Amino acid sequence: MSWMNIELILLIALPALTAVIMYFSKYFKQRLRNFFAITGAGIELYLIFSLFVVNYEAVKKSDFFLQYTIGYQNTPFVINFAMDNLSLLFSLIVTGAVFLIVIFSTQYIRDKEHRYFALFFLVLAAIQGSILTADLFTLYLFIETITIFTTPLISFKKTEETTRAAMQYLFYGITGGIFFFISMILIYFKLGTLKMAAVAESFSLISAPMQLTIIIFFLLALIIKLGIFPIHFWLPRAHSACPAPISALLSGVLLKVYLYIFMRLFWTMISFDFLVNLHLNAFVLDLALVSSLIGHIFALQADNLKKMLAYSSIGHIGMILAVLMLNTEAAFYGGLLHIIAHLLMKSGLFLSSGYLLQRTLSHHIDDLKGIGHKNRLVFIAFITICLGTIGMPPLIGFVSKWYVLLAFLKARHFFGAFVVGAGSIIALIYYLRYISQAYETVKSESLSLKEEFFSLREIFNSTNIMKTVIYIFTLLVIFFGLSYQLFELPVNTAIFELLNPQKYIELVLGG
Amino acid sequence: MFNNLIFIILFMLGFYALVIKTNLIKNVIGLNLMEAAVFFWVISFSDIGGKVSIHKLGEEVTKFNDPVPQALTLTGIVIGASTAALLLTLIIELNKFSGTIDRDQLEGLND
Amino acid sequence: MNKLIKKIMSLFILAGVTYALYQNFSLMPEYQGLNEGLSSYIIESGLNDTGSLNLITAVLYDYRAFDSLGESTVIFGAVSGIVLILSRKMLPVSSKGLSFIVKRTLGIMTPFIALFGLYVITHGHLTPGGGFQGGVILAAISIIFSIVYGSAFDYRRYSPQTKTALETGGAMIFLGLGLAGIILEGAFLHNLGFLTAETGTLISAGSIPYINIGVGFKVGAGLAIIFYSMIQKTFEEDF
Repeated sequence: MSWMNIELILLIALPALTAVIMYFSKYFKQRLRNFFAITGAGIELYLIFSLFVVNYEAVKKSDFFLQYTIGYQNTPFVINFAMDNLSLLFSLIVTGAVFLIVIFSTQYIRDKEHRYFALFFLVLAAIQGSILTADLFTLYLFIETITIFTTPLISFKKTEETTRAAMQYLFYGITGGIFFFISMILIYFKLGTLKMAAVAESFSLISAPMQLTIIIFFLLALIIKLGIFPIHFWLPRAHSACPAPISALLSGVLLKVYLYIFMRLFWTMISFDFLVNLHLNAFVLDLALVSSLIGHIFALQADNLKKMLAYSSIGHIGMILAVLMLNTEAAFYGGLLHIIAHLLMKSGLFLSSGYLLQRTLSHHIDDLKGIGHKNRLVFIAFITICLGTIGMPPLIGFVSKWYVLLAFLKARHFFGAFVVGAGSIIALIYYLRYISQAYETVKSESLSLKEEFFSLREIFNSTNIMKTVIYIFTLLVIFFGLSYQLFELPVNTAIFELLNPQKYIELVLGG
Repeated sequence: MFNNLIFIILFMLGFYALVIKTNLIKNVIGLNLMEAAVFFWVISFSDIGGKVSIHKLGEEVTKFNDPVPQALTLTGIVIGASTAALLLTLIIELNKFSGTIDRDQLEGLND
Repeated sequence: MNKLIKKIMSLFILAGVTYALYQNFSLMPEYQGLNEGLSSYIIESGLNDTGSLNLITAVLYDYRAFDSLGESTVIFGAVSGIVLILSRKMLPVSSKGLSFIVKRTLGIMTPFIALFGLYVITHGHLTPGGGFQGGVILAAISIIFSIVYGSAFDYRRYSPQTKTALETGGAMIFLGLGLAGIILEGAFLHNLGFLTAETGTLISAGSIPYINIGVGFKVGAGLAIIFYSMIQKTFEEDF
């Protein structure tokens, strides 16, 4: 009897249930549908937040652990769901961002909302599942599920470009999935188990060449999904073609989820020592750094606002992956902090770009003339978040980049430190290009800043809701930049989890 | 091992069709061939010369083949079928927009 | 010229990957079965735990029922996405179909195909087969109708609304049994104890046959909807 910790299964089931309701919401009024969507995401956020608050003491002592088992108790063949500090941190930030994105998209999407929200909530369910699961095959299933469900969302607008982007995304995603499947089945044939904890215990029993094969296939799968340098072509296209909320979901949230899976696989399941023994860590580190540099350089030549943002995502993700590969405590601190920072900033940037580009002819840089004058406050928010991405103090981007830089310097890895600095400078150039274009004078009558600010009073007007979400992201970027110490506790406990995978293994196998 | 060889040949054929061929439908076929190769390999590799893992009433069987890989493969097949359907749908839609299903020509149209 | 270089490069990469795969997989020792771990456990006590003769079905719908639930969600999502991508207002109207001989022959054969599909679904726990396999056979009937009798016939017999209802109904059966597992047995998707009967009979193995039926209808209807959305364009051209 395991009534205990049923909230873990609820975390996955609730979005799925909301998706079913949304699927049939074609016959609802718009208000009712929006209500259901926001309530669904809100309950999810409440649930995860209450988990954090209720277990605050346990989190503080970093012995927080929840587990739910599906199937026959006391047999080797059950599906586990486990939540430790690392999963709690990721689940929390992901759900928070998704909640805001849902509010934004209730106003942004004006066509076939029921199918949009059904797929959106299914993606949320799959994200929660892949964060919580402690079973390799279930993880494979959820990764594939994410890929399949996001594809129709990418081609939501139904033009040639979006269809091509979605197709490319699916081709690459499924190829990555096949590699993941090969690795998983090899592990099963060698060890006879699919539980990540059990695999972690006996991974050293596998012969060295087979270890290399398994690790390389896992790496290939995740490199494809993360869009690291040699296989990154699909990412800018897919992330720029879709509607703005989906761009925010893909670039802001999903990439972080893949980073989480990366950590789960290579720190908890396969201990990092195996990567070091096989000399793969230095290789991946260099690859990620090159990817980061290339992402920033390509962003320089992108003439499309959203494509530029997507390329800059490649740059940041490469940097985070590189700093994680250093495998020191300082590196984890910087990396996890930058994950949070990038999640906030990139979601905010994509959402505000979606708002700004609503009435322009195209996303091309030439068509952006004067948008800074038309939507002043939103554009100021946009600039603020841009400055955060570059790493301007007092914003959160500065803090996280500072710690990343420190970690590189501490490890005496100067190429990494160079990439962080160079990335910031290049980012400054390409953001300035767009900002200067946006302030090009064109004749138009526009509200003064003051009037625009006071028009916010009608908060439930649809454009104002969108604006509010953007401002919330901006304020979060500023607020957490000033008080990043708030993250000290969750991030440090998550680092504890990464450095001591033994705890997770023992608790999953014992409980 | 014979099945390993066949797995490699099939997998690389699929990979070849996915990477080199420019016809999108052929790419989908290549992807499915890769999947099929993996599934084929899993099933043939888990065959240890035992019986199919289904009990028969009133019959004691001493050696069964491993049922778990077969179950996992079944799930994989369903996912493969869904993705193939989704990919073909996107290709149909693409053909409607640009009138071609050739990858190189599509690249040319964009630039 | 540029393309040629690209092609040669790709071929080299392919050759390299082939060599690497060959090195790895050709040296792999033959699988001897696992003395410890999942498979031996299932072979020993799978029948006692679940009451299902077919151990693969036992894995799919009992031990790993959650994965199967996820899998049917994948089909649900794929169907939803395909309908989203290919949504056209145009109703497919074509009553051309094939020749008289084909129509007559398939008219005789269709009931047997349906019977076989249902057999595969309902005997999933006793013989090879199960919900997915039987569902695909059921979907074939709808495809046969569309091809042989024209899609207007198929539309009249099983309209998309019916198919959607069947699909969601199947999913609901699965979910409902999962929730019943929480209430009656204390775990999500736990096999329902009060449904067990003598092993080897048609209605035995707890909730497995019912899950099979749900999944079968879900998969059948889902694949039929996918096929149906894909052919619509062809029928617009028929006018």
